[in-house]
Amino acid sequence: MDRRNFLKVVAAGATVVAVSPSLIRGNLYAADGTLYKGYEKAQLVDAAGKPIKASALEKEVTYIFNYPYASTPCMLINLPKPTSAEVELVSEGGEKYVWKSGVGKERTVVAYVAICTHQLTHPTPNDSFIGYVPTNKKTMAYDKSGVIVCSSHLSAFDAGAGAKVLGGAATQPLNAVVLEHAADDTLWAVGILGQDKFHDYFQAFRPEIKEFYGKPAEAKKLVSLSAKTVKLTEFSKEVIQY
Amino acid sequence: MKKTLAALALGTLLAGSLGATETKDPRLELMKEMRTMMDAMEQIQRGGLYSSTDEMKLGVKKLQGTLKSLEGEEVKVILPKDQVYAYKFAQKTAHMLRLYSDDLIASIDAGRMDDALEDYTQLLRQCTSCHIRIRNW
Repeated sequence: MDRRNFLKVVAAGATVVAVSPSLIRGNLYAADGTLYKGYEKAQLVDAAGKPIKASALEKEVTYIFNYPYASTPCMLINLPKPTSAEVELVSEGGEKYVWKSGVGKERTVVAYVAICTHQLTHPTPNDSFIGYVPTNKKTMAYDKSGVIVCSSHLSAFDAGAGAKVLGGAATQPLNAVVLEHAADDTLWAVGILGQDKFHDYFQAFRPEIKEFYGKPAEAKKLVSLSAKTVKLTEFSKEVIQY
Repeated sequence: MKKTLAALALGTLLAGSLGATETKDPRLELMKEMRTMMDAMEQIQRGGLYSSTDEMKLGVKKLQGTLKSLEGEEVKVILPKDQVYAYKFAQKTAHMLRLYSDDLIASIDAGRMDDALEDYTQLLRQCTSCHIRIRNW
């Protein structure tokens, strides 16, 4: 390959990556890259700091970890059946993007930002009004269970299809946490997919965030290396589900 | 004698009916509290728009005086029957109202008026959020 051809190949590759950054990671991606934001890669670990294995996650249990900021809660769920693949979603701004699928051996492991896109309901150490409703329980928000429900205003999201809105007042899916499933069965958070609400969240819950996470600089610190992951029932003193 | 007895009986009846009206109906009490909350919110807003921190603080005091009925277990009695199950949501709203109103005072005292006005916005948001939920908007 001469110098000119080499430069052509490099330029073509750079263009492809610029148009679709997800090609670098090959995981979940936005159709045009605009609704995907990569953050520092963080390994999901348990309370003792031990890496969490996808196959060891209890089925249909909501786990919580903070990502990409020290104060932004996300939920991790091992669903009872494989998720849909290549789900086309639409943000409230009308932008289309694609949620690729769950991860793990059977594509059952999913993660979403646990901040409701309607009025930003989220779990706190005191209580939680948002979480996954297992298939053996009922919810008032939707005629089927096995969905994510925000019990504040009864919005329901499809846990197995990129948290697409199924019912209620929410007008866009929950943001998805882009996960990598490594060969050793460990899980890593690498980015956020969807039109995020972090700015609104920090502004709206300033006094509460201060109470639980300290000064704004601490609360907005980016998570790096690892993210402690615990069951929702351990994260919040009280879990409310309607 | 008959007249005296009749007057006594009438008096007893009247006293009884007056006593009955004095028994507090929790729903009427809630409506009264809600009107006070609305006045309090208007007062905070008026204080904010007229740059009167005293007015804002008085509004916060008035607002916080109404929260006890929503924070405790008695909230179950005052909610509409089809929404009693959601009393935890009402309690959470009351908790957030207290949090934002406390922060509003702290922000005023620290001279952070932007934060104080943001707290007012969030107070109003909590009000509408609860009304959407409880009154089935």
